[in-house]
Amino acid sequence: MSTELLPPSKVLITGASGLLGRSVAARLAELGYAVTTMQRSASGLTGVRELRGSLTDPDAVARAVEGQDAIIHMAAKVSVSGAREEFENVNIRGTEQIFDAAWAAGVENILYVSSPSVAHAGESLVGASAGAPDPVHAQGNYAQTKAAAELIAQERTSLGTNVLIMRPHLVWGPGDGQLTHRIVARARSGRLPLLGNGAALVDTLYIDNAVDAFTAGLRRLPQLAGERLVVTNGEPRPIGELLIGIAEAGGARRPRLRVTPGVAKAAGLAIEKVWAGASRFVQMPGDGEPPMTKFLAEQLSTAHWFDQRRTRELLDWRPSVNVEEGLARLADHVQRTGSVL
Amino acid sequence: MVKLPRIPGLGSWRPISARPAQNPHQALTKTPLPGLDPVWSRVVQAKTDDGRRSFHVLDTGPVLEELGVAPEGTILAVHGNPTWSYMWREVLAESVRQAQQALNGGSGRIWRVIAPDQLDMGFSERLAHPEAPSAGAPSYRKLEQRITDLDGLMDALEVETDKPLVTLGHDWGGIISLAWATRHHQAVDAAISLNTAVDHPSGEPVPAALRAAMAPGVLPASTVTTDGFLKVTLSLAEDMDDETRRAFRSPYVSRRGRGGIGGFVADIPALAEHDSRTVLEETSAALREWTNPALLIWGPKDPVFQDRYLHDLLDRLGNAADGQGADLHRFEGAGHLVGEDKDISEVIFTWLRQRFDEPQDQSLASPEPAAEIMGLHDQLEEMAASWRRETPAAVEMPPVELAAPGEQPVTVSWSQLREEVNALASGLYELGVSRGDRISLLVQPGNSLTVILYACLRLGAVAVVADAGLGIKGLTRAVRSARPDWVIGQRTGLTAARVLGWPGRRISVDALSPRATKMLGVEASVERLLRRAGSLASTAAALQEIPAPAAQDDAAILFTSGSTGPAKGVVYTHGRLGALVALLRQQFGVAPGASLIAGFAPFALLGPAIGATSVTPDMVVTKPATLTAAAVAEAAAAGQATMFFGSPAALKNVAATAHRLTDEQREALRRIRLVLSAGAPVHPALLDTVQEIFPEAELHTPYGMTEGLLQADFTREEIHQAAEESASPRSQAGVCVGRPVSGVHFSLAPLDQLGRPAETELLDPAEAPGVLSELVVSAAHLKERYDRLWFTDQQSRRDTKDQLIWHRTGDIGAFDAQGRLWIQGRLQHVITTPAGPIGPGVVETPVDALAEVARSAAVGVGPVGTQSVVVIVEAERGQKLHLPGTPLARPEFAREVRAACADVQEVSTVLVVDSLPTDIRHNSKIDRSALAQWAEQVVAGKKVSAP
Repeated sequence: MSTELLPPSKVLITGASGLLGRSVAARLAELGYAVTTMQRSASGLTGVRELRGSLTDPDAVARAVEGQDAIIHMAAKVSVSGAREEFENVNIRGTEQIFDAAWAAGVENILYVSSPSVAHAGESLVGASAGAPDPVHAQGNYAQTKAAAELIAQERTSLGTNVLIMRPHLVWGPGDGQLTHRIVARARSGRLPLLGNGAALVDTLYIDNAVDAFTAGLRRLPQLAGERLVVTNGEPRPIGELLIGIAEAGGARRPRLRVTPGVAKAAGLAIEKVWAGASRFVQMPGDGEPPMTKFLAEQLSTAHWFDQRRTRELLDWRPSVNVEEGLARLADHVQRTGSVL
Repeated sequence: MVKLPRIPGLGSWRPISARPAQNPHQALTKTPLPGLDPVWSRVVQAKTDDGRRSFHVLDTGPVLEELGVAPEGTILAVHGNPTWSYMWREVLAESVRQAQQALNGGSGRIWRVIAPDQLDMGFSERLAHPEAPSAGAPSYRKLEQRITDLDGLMDALEVETDKPLVTLGHDWGGIISLAWATRHHQAVDAAISLNTAVDHPSGEPVPAALRAAMAPGVLPASTVTTDGFLKVTLSLAEDMDDETRRAFRSPYVSRRGRGGIGGFVADIPALAEHDSRTVLEETSAALREWTNPALLIWGPKDPVFQDRYLHDLLDRLGNAADGQGADLHRFEGAGHLVGEDKDISEVIFTWLRQRFDEPQDQSLASPEPAAEIMGLHDQLEEMAASWRRETPAAVEMPPVELAAPGEQPVTVSWSQLREEVNALASGLYELGVSRGDRISLLVQPGNSLTVILYACLRLGAVAVVADAGLGIKGLTRAVRSARPDWVIGQRTGLTAARVLGWPGRRISVDALSPRATKMLGVEASVERLLRRAGSLASTAAALQEIPAPAAQDDAAILFTSGSTGPAKGVVYTHGRLGALVALLRQQFGVAPGASLIAGFAPFALLGPAIGATSVTPDMVVTKPATLTAAAVAEAAAAGQATMFFGSPAALKNVAATAHRLTDEQREALRRIRLVLSAGAPVHPALLDTVQEIFPEAELHTPYGMTEGLLQADFTREEIHQAAEESASPRSQAGVCVGRPVSGVHFSLAPLDQLGRPAETELLDPAEAPGVLSELVVSAAHLKERYDRLWFTDQQSRRDTKDQLIWHRTGDIGAFDAQGRLWIQGRLQHVITTPAGPIGPGVVETPVDALAEVARSAAVGVGPVGTQSVVVIVEAERGQKLHLPGTPLARPEFAREVRAACADVQEVSTVLVVDSLPTDIRHNSKIDRSALAQWAEQVVAGKKVSAP
């Protein structure tokens, strides 16, 4: 067995409609991998084989995995609203579906994309390592179902599938409709409050670095079976400074810091309220989600940063774009196109 | 003061019935015993003077046997009241660890640890008590029985007596174990005790904390009927967690378990006619005959076994270790349960290793001094006999601002100084001060202090120089730890001594009114001693009888600044101070006849030994920042001074007040040929300003520490040169302090990824340029030892490279390829980034250079090995560097800081505060440990007040 997955290996990417999935697919195609994507809506990518379908459809999944050397399983339900059942269907059953199909089709390598929130019971994360997934104590439907799915992924390692779990944290950059766009939109309408002391350290991942890391992860996947790696820039920054930086790069005025009494949790709830209220004004095309989830609010009011030593060593990867440079690129993009997206 | 709870059923006694020993892990079903391995527990039958009794014993013997290793010695550990063998769990654990290490090729000796629960205590057999505990009550165990109980136990446990045997005790177990050791001194090879007492003068009141529990009628209720005594004792631990507290309480939760507690208290022979008094007196007398090694580990915050008992023990154990006396480690900040407050097993096993396996290499020596050493008095004698005899030896300046019209500096000539020193020395001698006595000097720098200090040195007394710069709390701790026999002080110092209960007989500087004399407990004054001795023809004759101190005699105890933990006492001998004098003369060309302005205490006190005039400028000594340029100029003019010794804070204020200098004063400052700033690094820009004030002077910023006052030296020109050359960012990061001075050897203990210095394999600076290391030094003028800190002292001198005596400085830095030393900070402030360890100076130096920044501190937050760097900045006046309502820096300023450090270190966060917390003595050492804790909270998103 070769220890590296090199082009022209065949790779299936699920959930290629978001920024991260799209960018990874495009990069891999560029590098000469034979890329197939599978998602419900069109990805708009060129140079890849595109399948439309749902994770919950066994036949569609079986067709997609057939003949692949590797799968990057990124598709998930990422939101706050929706019934628990929906999360379970997509995040748990969908994952099971992929793994079952892969096993049946003899696909040996799966890169499972998860989230640091699966190991996070709500307190500050300070230089944290990638903890074990904990479906009981993880916060909210998304994190709980992703944690359960990660356990399934882990289990499959023992059945002989090479599974690498990667947990990117707060991906941002030009084209990001989740975090980046929402921060800028809120700030432009003058309603982005910075709560607490604004100094909570938060680690993020600039989109280009994320793409590099996933590319490295795919290449080294056969050597990294059974690993779980949190992936960030490894540059924790005070949340206040980050939000100001992103807002200003997006052409908004500098948000004001609002010092609230009380602890981080209260601040988190306050953010959720304010941001939920704002959903009337700022809506993402198509997804109908409130612009800021409680999960995200919490991310923005307590420390969340990670020990990146192992990640960097195993992936043999270093972020090439630092926060400062990322903000400059974002500002440039917004100036050229008039929008984050 | 100990408050006991309201006592139910006072006066009535319900009998307690007998019960055999138990295994705690079987007896307790709901109480976890954290740290206690069940396999250590065993119940044994032992023959005692009143028949067979069952004991619960913790014993690592069976575990060692199972591991397949044979013990090479035995430690018998005896607990006190009201604890149980649980208190020795760390010692047992260490015994097992050592055995496991030995199996893996380690070299440590294997000790079997035996820790019995005393009878009627812990989980050992409970005796029947038909009557309440009181002195002499028949059903309770007495001291004599408890000592002989150990005989039975040692037989029952089949302890091998042909191998080393060591006793270890605490509290009443200290007395029992020491008594047992002295009775079996042929078999017991060493004795160790934690807080205890072997003697209590029958006339003196017992400590208040015990008195409450011992009062007749109250005793049974406070100790047995209720758990008052138990609760109070456990409350003495600094911060014990609940599970541990419950474990300690577990044998004593019910009244039926507490008979022994009452019996112990009733057996305290506070009165002359007490049954156990004879045994106690025998023991305390026998300790004087103890010649084997002894170690005392002490927690000074003990309301019962106070420092006076420690002093008594040290005195009695004066013949231990064949006359060297007992070793002592006094854990500042720890209390009665010192084993709970501090890691005592590390101290115990290190000591045992040194005593039994790796005796300290007696052939280790310090390097040769920089120049020939003279006695500290020799130069004074020479000056007083030379043509300079009528020139000033000491000049004390009147206040610059508040001087009465015509008030003149007070000048003492060399012949006067010699006369006064000799007169006071004989006066003190007649008063009873003898060689080796410790004398605390609570005297402001000036002519009086000079006379007193050299009189003490002449007598061979040891000057305890704890200055007010430690703060009143630090000063109290320092004086208590040194435990002076005498205190010489001015009124303020003596008042503090009185109010704070410092030890030592009191001598005032000035003659006081009878009322003040009585109030302050003063028995003599320097003024009267001088006057009387002056009138006595016998002075010179009396002094003839007193031999001059030898080079190896202790001369002085200085104290570290305490910016990284409690201040440590540092002992200097006459020989080592002499070597410092020789070095100062050589390094700075301070020849007899020179005159120096003393703005920095340790060097200033050496004026008479150097043969230089000491000029004391007008300043508040504890606040170096009160020294003005005018005060320096006046001192220079009056004392014909050619040198100025100051601290960075003093220099800063001199620079800030220079604009008020008159032309005349400026002229006086032209005389100064040497300016020396010690204590902390000085910014090159400040040095440039200082140079303008002292246009003819060569500016030096020597590097050193209380434990070795001069290690490296640097001039202003060299500083600028180094700054221009510093092309290699990481190896020339921090502050350059120059090159080693002559006679000082440097070695490097490189730091690993987690910031830990290498234990062995020290490197030569020349073979490891740019390698971040703990700096290790060796020189003739280093400290002799730390005072009463056996373990700290051993740790500091653990290296043996090149057969030299070394000192671990706790400073971290690197040498560059040109042989210059760059300091990055203190070892305990090391920041362990994912890219490796750095000292705070790496970041602070470039940040301090920013125009908006007054000063800065860099700390690490997060787990060791992956820490993130937070910079905390004190802004220059008028600079608004943070966002409103938060310490978080404005993004523009944060970017500027990151850019300044870009070559050396990634900075995650920049915070801005009004002022950084600093130490009092230098007003320049930033309390980074406190800042790091504060920053951890801030960057976790918590709202906190200023640091």
